Amino acid sequence: MPEQMAKRDYVLEKIKTVFTKFGYDAIETPAIEYAETILGKYGEEVSKLVYRFKDNGDRDICLRYDQTVPFARVVAANYKTLPMPFKRYQIGRVWRADRPAKGRYREFYQCDIDIIGTQSLVAEAEIAKVMAEVFTTLGFSKFKIKFNSRRLINSILNDLKIPAENQAGMIRILDKMDKLSPAEIKQELKSLASDSEASKLLELVCVEDSSNDRLSLFQKYNTTEIQEFLKIAKGFGIPDEALVFDPSLARGLDYYTGVIFEVYIPEVDIGAVCAGGRYDDLCSLFCPEKFSGVGVAFGFDRIIVAMEQLKLLDEISLNSQALVAYFNAATLPDSLKILGDIQTAGLAAEIYFEPAKIAKQLKYADKKSIPFVVMCGPDEKERGEATIKMMKTGKQKTIPQDQIINYFKGYSSL
Amino acid sequence: MKTPERLRIAVQKSGRLNQGSMDFLVSCGLAFAPNGHSLILPCQNFDLDVLYLRDDDIPEYVSRGVADFGIVGQNVLAEKEFKPKILKKFDFGKCRLMIAAPADSVIKTPKDLEGERIATSYPKLLIDYLKKEKLEAAIIPISGSVEITPDLNLADAICDIVQTGTTLKAHDLVPLFTILESQAVLIESPINKQFKEKFLLKCGIN
Repeated sequence: MPEQMAKRDYVLEKIKTVFTKFGYDAIETPAIEYAETILGKYGEEVSKLVYRFKDNGDRDICLRYDQTVPFARVVAANYKTLPMPFKRYQIGRVWRADRPAKGRYREFYQCDIDIIGTQSLVAEAEIAKVMAEVFTTLGFSKFKIKFNSRRLINSILNDLKIPAENQAGMIRILDKMDKLSPAEIKQELKSLASDSEASKLLELVCVEDSSNDRLSLFQKYNTTEIQEFLKIAKGFGIPDEALVFDPSLARGLDYYTGVIFEVYIPEVDIGAVCAGGRYDDLCSLFCPEKFSGVGVAFGFDRIIVAMEQLKLLDEISLNSQALVAYFNAATLPDSLKILGDIQTAGLAAEIYFEPAKIAKQLKYADKKSIPFVVMCGPDEKERGEATIKMMKTGKQKTIPQDQIINYFKGYSSL
Repeated sequence: MKTPERLRIAVQKSGRLNQGSMDFLVSCGLAFAPNGHSLILPCQNFDLDVLYLRDDDIPEYVSRGVADFGIVGQNVLAEKEFKPKILKKFDFGKCRLMIAAPADSVIKTPKDLEGERIATSYPKLLIDYLKKEKLEAAIIPISGSVEITPDLNLADAICDIVQTGTTLKAHDLVPLFTILESQAVLIESPINKQFKEKFLLKCGIN
């Protein structure tokens, strides 16, 4: 409905503005892909959540599960003509055959940014900066960008002598950390590792200290990537308190290889509102070239829920900011001129379509929460004036018609 | 003429702060040759140049460190949202930023400003004031001679600097309430230069 769409458009516009500020351009890919493109890219459990069906031509097709895999396909098909490194944003619907719950939907919007064709950690840090700027711009003050490194997790698992073929499975179990208790996680881990190995792993990743203290516990493993990332992130001016190193962060998807991210809003219990990370070999499934990339997806619908809960969207009204009243055929030309002037001043404005009673026209404005009604009746037309009614206070102000543009241009609350 | 050791102080070129600013510098023992039309006035007995500027440009010069010091009204600093270190407050340049309206106007209290047209050279300060008072009004930005706008039906009230009130009276305007009290201040650039101390010592500051 219009009220909800006004809020969604407002949020979308803000997110897009941040993306474009960092030089991301938009692309779109089809909602439907061949099954072979989508399946086998995410790991077994996730593949079950893909909507898959046969079309009338008996083609095996899927609705896209995210925008990253279709993006990889597009890059693989076009890399020779794309500027490299290639960065883009993509905003669209994705579909997951999941059981709906709070913050979990079968159809929802993702806003993705990806940088492909560079291994530089400046890319990870830029992504973190964009995340920080998006959530700051939207009015969140306490968001946490949790991060970890798949390389670090693998280095820990190698140290525990976990066979390579079991590591992906263990990472998927670790990813459930915020849904299951440590005991349940341990139980699940036992299918892939010994009791002592599982205990050691949990003891390592479940530390309650602050970001920097946590990092010092991992000296024996490979933390150079994380150190370097933090250094560049600081250069980008990301606030220290927004970046939280979380060694238990795993991300369920198979394709991540380096730094991984999840963003949480501590006051809102809705899960991650943004997530992603570094993937090194995604495109190699579609072409002989290998492109390293890093990207995140913003969970648009969860962000809306969080903003509504924190009352960050209460002020957003419908588009129209001024209604020009319609008195009669003789005054209509003046009214239409006034309409144009209000729009020139930068306000969204509309004319009432019929010369109805003014009370009815005011009621219409009220119903749409339009803050100004501008009237030019026969008397005003005679004197070259217009009357502005401020709907909030009911006060009326009559000014010369040729001052309409400056009046609204200088209006303090616009 | 420019050597890196030479300091610069920005001073209003002409207007109500010029004389007070120069008097202060002379009282510190600085000597200047009679000035022709040059906008840079070298001091004869100290490594200092005086830059003659429009007062609303002074914050820009000082914030960038082009001028190491400046003498400017607090009203200008507030309008430009520049918050430098203030070294000294002067007795001159005292004034108030006030809302004034024609004697026969319905505008008597802040609440009456709702929806009215207010002409001003200080749009930022006015918008802050309106926000603080939870009011909305149409701001008509004008660079000077704000007092004539109500008479021309361009505005219903004005927001302007009042010193003695004679200009207002001449246009049949009544001062209603104060938005900001202001006086001339000596400010220091946030950009560091090692020779600043010498000037401060000379002026008897610190």
